[in-house]
Parts: sequence; C-alpha cells; structure tokens
Amino acid sequence: MDPKLTEVSQYFERFKAACVREDIDTSANLLSQLKVLLTSFRSLPPLFEVTPNAVQELTIARDIYEHAVLLSVKMGDQDAFERDFFQLKPYYTDARKRLPRSPQEHMILGLNLLRLLVQNRIAEFHTELELLPAESLEDPCIKHAVELEQSFMEGAYNRVLTAKQTVPNQSYDYFMDLLAKTVRDEIAGCSEKAYDFLSTNDARQMLLFSSDNELLKYINEEHPEWEIKDGSVIFQKAKETAPCKEIPSLQLINQTLSYARELERIV
Amino acid sequence: MAATMVSSAGGLLAMLNESHPLLKQQALQNLNNYVDQFWPEISTSVTIIESLYEDEEFDQNQRQLAALLVSKVFYYLGELNDSLSYALGAGSLFDVSEDSDYVHTLLAKAIDEYASLKTKAIESSADAESIDPRLEAIVERMLDKCIADGKYQQAMGIAIECRRLDKLEEAITRSDNVHGTLSYCIGVSHCFINRREYRCEVLSLLVNVYQKLPSPDYLSICQCLMFLDEPEGVASILEKLLRSDNKDDALLAFQIAFDLVENEHQAFLLNVRDRLPTPKSQPLESANPRSAEPVSGETEPSTASEDVPMAEGASVSSTSAPEIDKSEETYSERLTKIKGILSGETSIQLTLQFLYSHNKSDLLILKAIKQSVEMRNSVCHSATIYSNAIMHAGTTVDTFLRENLDWLSRATNWAKFSATAGLGVIHRGHLQQGRSLMAPYLPQGGAGGGGSPYSEGGALYALGLIHANHGEGIKQFLRDSLRSTNVEVIQHGACLGLGLAALGTADEDIYDDIKSVLYTDSAVAGEAAGIGMGLLMVGTASEKASEMLAYAHETQHEKIIRGLALGIALTVYGREEEADTLIEQMTRDQDPILRYGGMYALALAYGGTANNKAIRQLLHFAVSDVSDDVRRTAVLALGFVMYSEPEQTPRIVSLLSESYNPHVRYGAALAVGISCAGTGLSEAISLLEPLTSDVVDFVRQGALIAMAMVMVQMNEASDSRVGTFRRQLEKIILDKHEDTMSKMGAILASGILDAGGRNVTIRLLSKTKHDKITAVVGLAVFSQFWYWYPLIYFISLSFSATAFIGLNYDLKVPKFDFISNAKPSLFEYPKPTIVPTTTSAVKLPTAVLSTSAKATKARAKKDAEQKANTEKAAAAGEPSTSTNSGKGKSTEKDGDSMQVDTPPEKKAEPEPSFELVTNPARVVPSQEKYIKFMEDSRYVPVKLAPSGFVLLRDLKPTEPEVLSLTDAPSSTNATRAAAAAGLGAGGQQAMAVDDEPQPPQPFEYTS
Repeated sequence: MDPKLTEVSQYFERFKAACVREDIDTSANLLSQLKVLLTSFRSLPPLFEVTPNAVQELTIARDIYEHAVLLSVKMGDQDAFERDFFQLKPYYTDARKRLPRSPQEHMILGLNLLRLLVQNRIAEFHTELELLPAESLEDPCIKHAVELEQSFMEGAYNRVLTAKQTVPNQSYDYFMDLLAKTVRDEIAGCSEKAYDFLSTNDARQMLLFSSDNELLKYINEEHPEWEIKDGSVIFQKAKETAPCKEIPSLQLINQTLSYARELERIV
Repeated sequence: MAATMVSSAGGLLAMLNESHPLLKQQALQNLNNYVDQFWPEISTSVTIIESLYEDEEFDQNQRQLAALLVSKVFYYLGELNDSLSYALGAGSLFDVSEDSDYVHTLLAKAIDEYASLKTKAIESSADAESIDPRLEAIVERMLDKCIADGKYQQAMGIAIECRRLDKLEEAITRSDNVHGTLSYCIGVSHCFINRREYRCEVLSLLVNVYQKLPSPDYLSICQCLMFLDEPEGVASILEKLLRSDNKDDALLAFQIAFDLVENEHQAFLLNVRDRLPTPKSQPLESANPRSAEPVSGETEPSTASEDVPMAEGASVSSTSAPEIDKSEETYSERLTKIKGILSGETSIQLTLQFLYSHNKSDLLILKAIKQSVEMRNSVCHSATIYSNAIMHAGTTVDTFLRENLDWLSRATNWAKFSATAGLGVIHRGHLQQGRSLMAPYLPQGGAGGGGSPYSEGGALYALGLIHANHGEGIKQFLRDSLRSTNVEVIQHGACLGLGLAALGTADEDIYDDIKSVLYTDSAVAGEAAGIGMGLLMVGTASEKASEMLAYAHETQHEKIIRGLALGIALTVYGREEEADTLIEQMTRDQDPILRYGGMYALALAYGGTANNKAIRQLLHFAVSDVSDDVRRTAVLALGFVMYSEPEQTPRIVSLLSESYNPHVRYGAALAVGISCAGTGLSEAISLLEPLTSDVVDFVRQGALIAMAMVMVQMNEASDSRVGTFRRQLEKIILDKHEDTMSKMGAILASGILDAGGRNVTIRLLSKTKHDKITAVVGLAVFSQFWYWYPLIYFISLSFSATAFIGLNYDLKVPKFDFISNAKPSLFEYPKPTIVPTTTSAVKLPTAVLSTSAKATKARAKKDAEQKANTEKAAAAGEPSTSTNSGKGKSTEKDGDSMQVDTPPEKKAEPEPSFELVTNPARVVPSQEKYIKFMEDSRYVPVKLAPSGFVLLRDLKPTEPEVLSLTDAPSSTNATRAAAAAGLGAGGQQAMAVDDEPQPPQPFEYTS
C-alpha cells in the first residue's frame, strides 16, 4: 500500500477516535493536517487523475470530509460546515462513476438542505434540491428536509416544530433547534407587519413561548425596539416609507425637447 | 481533459477559506487552471482572492498567483483596467508568450496604456517618468519576444507606437530583411504617426540606420531627408553617386533627383542644387542643360535665341574644353545633368513634350459648347475659355483659340484678363518660350502702353502659371512689372504671378514688394497680394502670418480680408500641430471671413493626415457656425484633410451631403471632389450623382465640377457612369433653360474631364506618398473660384501627367516596349465625339456604334499598315501607343476596313488581354498595377515604377538607340500671331502679323 495512503489512514483513524471521544480540539487539528495531506493526492478532485490507488484515495478522502462535516455540526460551526460540505460535494457529484455511493450521502445532503433552510437561503435550497436525482428525494433524510420546507413556506409553523421529534438522525438536532429560532424570527417579522400591538398573552402564544419570561428575554435580545406596555407588546411600526418618488415629468419633457432641437440643428 | 471532470468550482472556493496556507495555495493553483471555465463562480468570491493578494504575510509567489487569478476574472468580466492592474501585480507569472485570448487582450491593453502614457509624458514634456515600471517591463518583454520570434513588423509597430526608438532600431537592425523592414517602417511612419515632430525623429533614426547599411537604399534615404528638410544630406549622397565610376550609380542619382522633383518642394530642391558644386569644366555635349534634351533641329535655334534669362549662364559654353582627366569630365557632365533635373527643367520639358505629342483633346466638345452658349452670356463665354485652357493645359495646343479669334475678342475687362491668363495654362511648363509667348500682352514699359491693363495683368498671371513653382528665371521680371505699375489690375496679375513663380521660396524681397501693394489698400490688388504672400510663404509657418492677420483686422475691404485669410492659411501648410495656435486664433475671430480662413488653415495644416482632431473640429464648424461661408468651407476642408484616404471621405460627408443647407451640400460635393480626385471611386460617384440634379443651382455646379474631378481620365469601359455623366453635361450645356450657374459648372466640368489633352490626372500625393505641395495649394486656391473666377486656373497646378517616361543615361527617351497586362479598352482614351455632319447635332443611336466600330477598325488598320505608314503615324503624334499588338484576328478586318458602315457584330471579337505599350506611354493611375516590364528587354529600369520618370539601364550600350519624343512644341510664333489678333489691341495685331505664322501643329482629326 502506498505509504502516503497509509499515513493518511493512520491519521484518519486517530481523527475518528478523537471524534468519538468528543475531543474537539484534537480532531480539528488532525483534520487540518489531513486536509493538507490530501492535497498531494492527484486522484482527488479537481484533477481526478487515474492512479492505481484512486479508488482507495477517493474513498478515504470522502470519508474524511464526511467526518469533517459531522464534526462541524458538533462544533456548531456553520461556516466550517459550508466549507467542508463544498469540498465534499465533488465526491458525490463528479466522482459518482468512480466510487460506490456513500452510505452517509443522503444524510449529509439532508443536513445541508436543513442548514440552508435554517439560514433562510431558500433559493439555494431549491437549487440544491433540483440537482438531486429523483430517487434521492424518496430518502427519509431528504424527504424530511423537503417536508420541513413545505411547512415552513405554508406558515404551518407548529408542524415545523413538531417535526423535531421525527428527525432521521441525531446530528439533525442541532439544526432543528436553530430552525425553531428561524421560525420564531419569521413569526416575529410577520406580526410586526400585521399588528400594531398584541397582548403579551397572545404574543407568547404566537411566538410559541411557554412562559412570559422567555418572551421578554427574546424581545430584549432580538427586538429591543418593541415596547411592552400595559400588558401588551407594541410593535413600533417601521417608519412610514417615504411616499413614492414623484416622476420628474417636466424635467424629462424639457430634456427630450432640447434633444430634438439639437438633432434638428445637426443635420 | 481534466477541466471537464468537475462541475463546479465551489469546492475550490471553499478551500480558499481554509485557515491553512497550503490549502489556500492548492486552491489558488487549481482555480487558476480552471478559471477559464468557472470564472462566473469565482467572480463572486473575487474579494477573497484580492485580499489574499494584499495579504503581506502570504508568500510572494502565491500573491502573484492570486493577482493573476483576479486579473483573469476581471478580464472575463470585461473590466480591463482592473484586469491590467492585477496582471501587473502578477509579475513574471503573466506570460506574454502564452497564446490565449486573455494574454492577447491584456497585452494589447498594456501596450495601449503604455503608448498613451509615453505620448502624454513626451507631449507635456514636463513631468515624465510616472510610468509604472512593471508596465514598461511587460511591454519590453513583449517587444523582445516579437524580435526574437522574427515578428519584426509587429515589434516595429509597437515600438513606434510606444515611442521606443531604441527598440525600433533594434528591431530593424536585427531583422532578416533590413531593406524590407525599413521601407515598411517609412510607410508606417507616414500613415500612422500623427505628430510631425515625432515623425521627424523616427525618420532621422531611419536615415541613420540606412546609412549604416552596407548597401544603402539611396532612393528611400533621400525621400526621408527631404521630409526632414536636410538638403546637405541629399546633396552629399548625390555627389557621392555622381563621383562613382559606375554608370549605374549615376543613373540612380538621376532617378533620385526625379523622385525628389516629383514632390514639388521647390525651396528644398533649390537648396540641394545650390549645395552641389558647380561643374568646373563644361564639356561640349552638356554645355546647356536644356540642350541635353531631345530638342529637334528646327526648334533648336529658337530656343537658343529666345531663352535669354535662363540660358545665359550655361550657353556661354566654353568651346575650348580643356583636357582635364576623363573622370572629372564625366563628373561635371553628370553634375550639369542633375542640376537640370533638380531645377525641374528636365522633367517639365519632358512632360511638356509628352503632353504635346500625346494630346488627344477633343475640339468638337469645345465647339459644341461654344455654339450652344449664348452670345451675351459672358459667364458662360468665359467658362468656355476656362474650359479650353484646362482641356489643353500643358499641351501648348491653342488651335481652338486661333480658330475662334472673333469669338474670343468678345471677352472684355476681367474676362479678358482670364482669357489672357488662360494662355498661361495652355503653355504651362513652356519655360523657355513662356516669356516670348506672352510678350504681346505684357506691359511695355513706356513703349506706347497700347494694351489694356486687363490683358497685361492677365499676361503676368499667365507667366506665373507657366513658371509655377519653377520661377527662378521669371521672378525678376515679374517683380519689375509689379513695381513699375500702379494700375490695380496689373498689380493683381503680378501678385498672383509672383506668388506662383516663387511658390514656397519665402523670398523676403518679393514679400516686401507684395506687401507694399497690399498696403495701398486697394481691394482688387490687395486680394491678390494676400494670396500672393501666402503662396510665397507656403508651409513656412513664418512670423509673417501675424502681420497679415493684423492687417486683415485693420482693412475694411472684404476682398482683402479674404485674400489675406487664405494667404495666412497657406503659410501653415503641412505644419500640423505647429499651426494650432494660429488656427485657434482664426477660428475664434469675430469676422466670418477670418473664420473661413481658419477652415482653410485647418485644411492645409492637416492636409492629407486624416487627423482625427482636425476632422472633429471641421465637423463641428460645419454644423455649428452661423455663417454659411464658414460652414461650406469647413465641409470642403474635410476633403483636404482626408485626401490620403479617399475611401473614407464619402462615408464621412455622406450625411452632410443630405443637409438642408445648400452651402453644406456644396461643400460636401467639393470635399469628395478634392479628396477622391482622379480615383474614380465608385462610392464617390454614387454620392455625387444625386447632387448633380440638386434643386439649388450652385450645388449642381459644385457637384458637376467635383464629379469631373473624380472621373478625370476614366472611360466608359471602366465605369459606365462616365458615359452617362458626359451625356448629362452635354444636355445641361445645350439646355436653353438651364441656370447659368450650373451651365458654367457643366462647361468647366467638361474641361476638367478631358484635362491636359486627356493625359493628366489630379494627384495630390506623389508616388512615394508625400504631399505634392503645388497640387494641394493649387486645389486650395482653385476652390476660391466661388468668389473670383480667374482663380479657376489654379487647378492646373494639381494636374500631373499620367505617363511612363523611361530615360536613358543621356536623359533621352529611347524607344522600348513594355506590357500593360489588361484589356486595352479598359484604359484607352475616351472615344472622340463624332463630327456633327452637315445638319444639326441630332445623333442617331446607331451612330455611336458605327463610329466606334470605325475607330476600332481604323486602329486595326493602322496596326497592320504600320510599317507602310510610319511617317503618317508619326505625324499623328501617336507612335503606336495603344496599338493592338496582341493581334491575330484583327488583321483579318483589313480588307473591309475602309467601308463606312460595317455591321457592329463584326467587332465582337475577343479582346486581347494585354497590350504592348511604347515608351513614353500614357499610364493612367488605375492601370499602374498592370504594368510589367519584359524580361528580354534591352532596357532595365533602375527602380521598378509603373509610371513617372524612370531611368533605364541599357544592357546593350553599343547598339544604336532609337529615340522618341523628339518633336518639341514650336508653336511660338503662330500662337503669338493668332492670339494677339484675338485679344490684343490693333497695334499689336499689326506687329504680330509681321511674324510669319507657322503652319498649325499636326493635329489628329478623327475622320
């Protein structure tokens, strides 16, 4: 076996062990070293050179990145997630013909969809979805994310929140928590537009809080511009939008006329 | 290919955000490989890469890689400026030899940038050296690469553009074909360098390179030196060549001299001539430079006796040629010859002989005009006289005048002035006998003073026209005449004459004489004085211009202001940017006449440069000035600026030619006429065609004249519209209800169409692509005929004979044949009009056919019987020119050739695809590309030129030579008698009759 590959797999074993131990710092360190080591493999994307060990190399690289993605979920680092996911993606899309499908693939794709949903990047969400083959849509991980998105769009926020109970994988929890917050933000944004004020009780129900304290905390943190007075939340209406700009018709007419005059003079 | 392996650069971009530098490096490298494909994706993250480039901690090489990547992305985004600045940051990673669109585009951009910076730095000349050294490095790398790859032309172009004369020199000297590159470089420097100063620098560099070569190309060197105005250089080269033992060197020297003469730069030529040593001994044979010409026996005495002012020096030929050593003798003999050439006498003489012997003008056209114009209409009457003069310009044939003395005598006052001056046009270049020809009309100091001032003034003007640009011999006489008179008409003629004769010599004394006339503040004389001063100072950009400008502000007379305005414009001829201050001053003047002069100044200063700035300015004035005169002139001036690129002019003025303002339309017509003169350009004709039937009479006039200028020397075979145009002219002239203006235009147009006996064209550029000063100035003054008809004659200055004249060592014209590789009918003379038979001029359609058939037959017959009829042919002055020697079938027709009416089908024979022509021959400009020399010919040209004067090397010097062009025009006496009778007063007529009239010159009538 290629010495490099051996080295990588040794590191990888240690990395996996660290992950299992939940030793975040060590695993992050090892991961970084692994990534550097991977750059020396010519069979990896974007080169895809055909080398004798190509399949092993690709597989191990894919495993490393899959673990990296999961690690980032554990760390709650969305940037790292995005970075690692993008580096992983070529192994799914472009290396399809060279490698057997990874068992983790759908789970990771679903995670990514969820992340997009959490970050409220709906357009990208749909782009990703379109790129998936039809049979992938049937996978529970993917299906879960798709259903979530549908509920989210419909405004059936309670369904979104209850979906937390049916997660296909425990690594989804992190995002589901975040999603609850996204939903709440969404509701808050809508209420702000829809109501001048709400009673604290209604607001609590509306924002799906179990106690007034939670509500107050949320308001203080996220919407300090809201006022709480006489047992009701007063949404400070967004400043009246400036009236539509007047069309400078007179000026335009003058300009056009002067152009016409100039044209006449030229010929 | 690997590039197709991945579907997105997302992974690589994500890698850029990794914290480990090695990963970033890896990502950059990969991105750089895939940027061509994934630039849209990368462009969203370009800020990240930019920050990598700016990251000081990053490895230098990686930073350059980042810069290169950013540069490529910006290139794809179309942000070339940003792209370039990052490419500079990429340093050596930016590979100039890479063959990709990106590199090509950026290189072009870099070179442009560098060139414009360099230009700016040099032009402002103050704070240079703000150029990014990295930019300079890229350009230099490019230059070195071009030179190394052998792309010398490319390297030269870049070097010239970037003002890197050091690189230019390197490119030239390292090229494999130095001569080729040099001549290419000269061409480039004339076409593409707009700044005169810089062009001079380039040319002087070229001269240096030339001189270092083992076998210098003296022809080109001398052309450069002429542009640089360095007569010493030319003189020393000529001297060296003349001193050589080799006869070929002497031939080359003569050829150089002829080429220089063609550029008509009188002051320069005189300078060169004066720098050559005077011949120490005067060998018998070449005692008189003019007798070296083939002058026939019968004219010899008259030349010697009458040519007093010029022959003096030489004709005192020392009959006792002392026995100096042989080489000195040949040297001085050659020296005499070359001085003759440089003074222009040789070429003028030969041209005159050519025009005379090949004259094909069609008197019937004139006759028709004469009959159709009304008796009392003096405008048309004098137009006919102008037309005749132009038609016979330089041919010395004045048959028409002699045959119509009564008719001619109806010209009075200014008409008489121009009628007399017309003789000058007809005898243009008749240097030796010019003065004696005009003698009857010239002011006779105190001797009765019988003549009218009008004919006297006209005669002085005529003298100027005869000696235009070669006025050494006549200057003094004109000055005396000017000083001894105070009649304003005579002053008028004398001022014009002096200006013409001393064109561009900047002679202070003459200037003072003319100035004193100007200060008399007489309108008529002052106008001519203004123009005369301008002519004298052409292209000198002297201080005198401001003096003239000051007087123009002072005087009340519009005519004087106009004359001065034009004069000032003439002084800045060809000075380009140097003239800008003056132009600015004139174009901002309150007085529209001075603004109008400003237009001319623009036209002449930037003549033939197609300078964008000048064109922009002119177009601006053409649409914005309040005065119609200024607008008209501005459009017209476009013609002058553009004459080096005639194809462009119709496009530029096409909109203006549809203007609602008739003055602008008129200007557009003339602009096309001027810049496309003699080209027969199809677009030009299409543009002018609708204007010839414009609603406004003067627009029609301008369009007709312009059309004639464009079509000069064309026949129906090359463009059928020529025939249509001729018929249109005829119709306008015959139409009783036509406006006088357009009728005059039509009459003039018929003159221009057949100018100079159908052997001249209007040419503003010499064959070496230099401006011909005289021609340009001539046309500029000619365009003034709007205000003053006598100025029409200035058009004769722009005529140049379309001839191939081969000369041997003795500067004689040997007989030899060469090939014109095209159908003879393409370039033959237009068919002569038929004799209007006994009845009126009603023509049957078949008449044209039968006569043309006849003409062909006549030619065929002549061809067959050539040997038998040699003397006849010689008398016809047409030594087998355009005879059809690729015959074969044509001889078959001999038998029936005398029949009057052959069916037209008979001539439907295949036309030969080439013809043999005999030196000297008419070679029209469009024919030049077909000219070939025969390989087994006895004579070999020194320079491969299809027309003009060409020196021939004689390969069989021992055999006797057959010479042609030996019949010199000798119509002196006859002319004098005849014309005097028409124009002169009674007393002169009596005097003239004393001279026995000679028989009229041989003239071929079509039977």
